[in-house]
Amino acid sequence: MTLAHLHSVRKMRLMSFICLGFSILAITSSVAKTKAREVSIGLQAAITSMDPHYHNVGPNNSLVRHVFESLVHIDENQKLVPGLATSWKALDDLTWEFKLRKNVRFHDGSPFTAEDVAFSIKRAPNVPNSPSSFATFTRSIADVKIVDSHTVIVKTTSANVLLPSDLAVVRIISKNVGEKASTEDYNSGKAAIGTGPYKFQEYIPNQRVVLKANYGYWGGEEPWDVVTFKMLTNPAARVAALLSGDVQMIETVPTADIVKLSKDAKYSLVDKISNRVIYVHLNQSTEKSPPFVTAKDGKPLDKNPFRDLRVRKALSMAINRDAIVSRVMEGKAQSAGQLLPEIFFGTSKKLKPQKFDPDGAKRLLAEAGYPNGFQMTIHGPNNRYINDANIAQALAQMYTRIGLDIKVETMPSSVYFTRASKLEFGFMLLGWGTESGEQGSAMRSLLATHDTAKGMGVTNRGRYSNAEFDKVLSDALVTMDEKKREAMIIKAAEMVMADVGLIPLHYEFSTWATTKGLKYAARTDQYTLAIGLKPTK
Amino acid sequence: MLGLRPTSQPSAKMATYVQTPFGRFCREFAESRLALLGLAVLVGVMVVALAAPLLAPQNPYDLAQLDVLDGKLAPGEQSMGGKTYLLGTDDQGRDMLSGIFYGLRISLSVGVMSTLFALGLGLAFGMVAAYFGGWVDTIIMRIVDIQLSFPSILIALILLAVFGQGVDKVIIALVAVQWAYYARTVRAAALVERQKEYVEAAKVLALSKPRIVFRHMLPNCLPPLIVVATVQVAHAISLEATLSFLGLGMPITEPSLGLLISNGFTYLMSGKYWISFYPGLALLITIVAINLVADQLRDVLNPRLKK
Repeated sequence: MTLAHLHSVRKMRLMSFICLGFSILAITSSVAKTKAREVSIGLQAAITSMDPHYHNVGPNNSLVRHVFESLVHIDENQKLVPGLATSWKALDDLTWEFKLRKNVRFHDGSPFTAEDVAFSIKRAPNVPNSPSSFATFTRSIADVKIVDSHTVIVKTTSANVLLPSDLAVVRIISKNVGEKASTEDYNSGKAAIGTGPYKFQEYIPNQRVVLKANYGYWGGEEPWDVVTFKMLTNPAARVAALLSGDVQMIETVPTADIVKLSKDAKYSLVDKISNRVIYVHLNQSTEKSPPFVTAKDGKPLDKNPFRDLRVRKALSMAINRDAIVSRVMEGKAQSAGQLLPEIFFGTSKKLKPQKFDPDGAKRLLAEAGYPNGFQMTIHGPNNRYINDANIAQALAQMYTRIGLDIKVETMPSSVYFTRASKLEFGFMLLGWGTESGEQGSAMRSLLATHDTAKGMGVTNRGRYSNAEFDKVLSDALVTMDEKKREAMIIKAAEMVMADVGLIPLHYEFSTWATTKGLKYAARTDQYTLAIGLKPTK
Repeated sequence: MLGLRPTSQPSAKMATYVQTPFGRFCREFAESRLALLGLAVLVGVMVVALAAPLLAPQNPYDLAQLDVLDGKLAPGEQSMGGKTYLLGTDDQGRDMLSGIFYGLRISLSVGVMSTLFALGLGLAFGMVAAYFGGWVDTIIMRIVDIQLSFPSILIALILLAVFGQGVDKVIIALVAVQWAYYARTVRAAALVERQKEYVEAAKVLALSKPRIVFRHMLPNCLPPLIVVATVQVAHAISLEATLSFLGLGMPITEPSLGLLISNGFTYLMSGKYWISFYPGLALLITIVAINLVADQLRDVLNPRLKK
């Protein structure tokens, strides 16, 4: 007994020495870290590739921005600023001229020229096996002409006022390297050679991306020598990583933890309204009952209730947006009355969020012939938008109060979006981030009559169709004059919102938390960039 | 059923009164205070679960009774409408106490139902395998082997991913993962019984095979099964909680204990402990109570531990 006891005491002592050793190691290494100016950032989503033209999805586009640059850059308020092009202008409706920045070098030392631009624009839509293609951004381009080593002319098939913002997402790669490289070569780092402020060092799928500073960067030196992006998809794990000091910044702070972190002096939080609206698409594709919508006895309805403006309006009026914002979103959202917050281009000052009016909603339902309501299932994702599953449930409560029978089904986004795009649902909770930052393109994707050939209504899962609105919108999209165009877009927005083409709920706020002593320039496009992260002193 | 087992003769001291086998079973069971406590708690939990609609202050599955404005209230805090929630509310404004009562109902019914069905299925296959032997035995037992070589949670996850959500689907998935345990246990017990004289006697009497299997051998194979089944009820409950926690078991508008815990999980770090804590406590108490009872049952029903 005593011997064993003694033994265990010794063991414990040994353990404590080992622990001490480790903690000394940890202290010295953290000292070394501050010298080497390293920073680690916890990301919400996995980065699927380092090939800038492989997968058109926010997290990838954001990360490759460190290594690769575009002709046009987007600042934190989603204004276009010069990138690899110092200036651009439309020569006529179908011709754009880009003047390129001189004395820019790729990470391998070769100079950046017009050849690289032409090559990148050609490659972007043609990467094999791309899960989501960049063709959306290059669709309108007919030809790229090299005038001299630092001037290119881009010809479009039809007038495209959004060309500069389209090209802001198309990263420029080196022609010499890119001609022989496949997506694998970018992931291994062999071909990941751009002009950006950081160089590629390491990419381990589902774990991390490590970048090191590009000291000769044309835009001036960055404050970090080494930046590590860790993919921490679990929200609690992300917060834990910040609290334990494993990372110095995280994106998308879980709303539940915002209050706690903001009270803690060791951390600082920044948030900003984003270009992402959370909204509802009502499936109007069917003549009779849309999927998962029936009479209360389970029998199909003889007509599609969502085709009736009164029903659409009632479903919007029944929503207590303030309750969702204050309770479900903990205040980190803003009630929405259109597709983009008012700070963006082409938004109407007159479109306010629909007022909460359950009695009015009931009256409208009765007028439309549903005095006793009907039955429907709310479908939504449970891991895509901030608190998505909770929003779906809150909506269910509100609709139950106006006399509908509601079921809720939420599922992982990988399953949900595929099924939603096949129109398998009736009432769909969705979100849309407008990368271009102007309401015209959001309406083009979500509300214009579905026509994939023309690139109109590509993501119009409600199949809302309104010829009058289509006309105003498509005219607006080919108007080159900014002022005129904005007025036309606003007119279209006011038309479609009065007709409740979809039901906007709120705009998400993006949140970032950093340790004290760091400051992040919060962005509306939800990108998390080391480029915007600076020490406060 | 237990009475069918030929019991040992009562000892000389006990000969003063006649003791039924069931009486002996009860007395031996009661020897452990802990087991009695477990049983009492279990009965209590069952009563709460059965009477949930009468006891609960709110129907947590009726969306019209929930108000998101009452969400995340601390235990005992008063809502704006003047209501007090004893154990607080979750993020949807669901009364935690009612949620736990109804959650226990789901957990227990899923646990018991899936165990009963799995027991029936396993029993039939196990007995058939043991009695007929040969290639029937080989086929059934290899299937059992294959199934047991996969973690049960993995099989349940795959099944539910295919089926979707709902009580019935969870039960089906749990039956599918559990029957193999019973088949194996029954077969082992039945193999032993098959060698015994009473089975030979029955064969000599030219009784039909089903009669020998189900009327003669089966009752004598039951004691080990009862022990396994009791432990498996607890296992099924925790499996259901795990599945719901992972978002695959119950629909979000009808949370079971696992889903309630999962709902509160995101708030653990922000000090709103009650959303996860109380359902977790209820789950813990239920499972511990069942395991206490099961432990004692094993001791009482195991002939090798007979005094």
